[in-house]
Amino acid sequence: MERTLDCMGMACPLPVINAKKAIEAFTEDGTLRILVDNETAVQNLTRLGEHNGFTVTSAQDGEKAFTVTMAVKASAAKAATVPAEAVSCAVPAKGGRVVVLSADTMGGGDEQLGRKLMKAFIFALTSQDVLPDKVICYNRGAFLTTQDQDTVNDLKKLEAAGVTVMTCGTCLDYYGLKEALKVGIVSNMYDIVEAQVGASLIIRP
Amino acid sequence: MRTKERRLIVAFHTTHDAMAFEDYCLSRGAAGRLIPLPREISAGCGLAWSAPPGDMAGLRDLLAGAGIAPQHIKEMEI
Repeated sequence: MERTLDCMGMACPLPVINAKKAIEAFTEDGTLRILVDNETAVQNLTRLGEHNGFTVTSAQDGEKAFTVTMAVKASAAKAATVPAEAVSCAVPAKGGRVVVLSADTMGGGDEQLGRKLMKAFIFALTSQDVLPDKVICYNRGAFLTTQDQDTVNDLKKLEAAGVTVMTCGTCLDYYGLKEALKVGIVSNMYDIVEAQVGASLIIRP
Repeated sequence: MRTKERRLIVAFHTTHDAMAFEDYCLSRGAAGRLIPLPREISAGCGLAWSAPPGDMAGLRDLLAGAGIAPQHIKEMEI
């Protein structure tokens, strides 16, 4: 018995659900080929097949074309189950890329070196083709939007290019920098949490 | 996204040299800043001094005053 299941264009977890139905219809040993258009589906279908004891192979046929092949055993087909890890669907990006600067140093170790590295990081950030949507500064990160002129200038360039630069108001207050903000906006914990919860990628140097 | 600009770039033998030169320049009010070593100079990791273009002699004087031997000095667009 051979069957080909076309799941091109189907959103996760539909390829897995349809594949499970197709497996259940196998009354004799055979081959099930599933056509999908993304790697997540390949991985999920592989987990589905292996979880049920089938040999699974996959091949990429094009930029967005994959074939997953399962050697289905009829003895296991009727009782096929879907493991939780086979319905792992990537969460679609909502809030974009967020850079979190929680200190005025980059990495642990020597503080003086860490400060230089952070300045270099922010400089290099301005030269990226793909910019973050937001830069969030808190704790000693508040010094980056207030005290260091080079970094302030770099952050101004990012802001001019459409990046939202946010600094924690509590932190500005704590360090006596409330009147010293030179770039971006004062933010609160709700905005800071919301930006990170909704982010598709958080970069924390 | 940053617009490229012409700068005098100094590469150093060590990170300590780069940091010491920054301190020296800042203490004398010399224009410039530390930046990551441009990829056009080296694929390696490092810090470089970026100064306004044109005054190569002044830059060499600063390096001599700081007692630091540069690895490279190059005027380039970064």
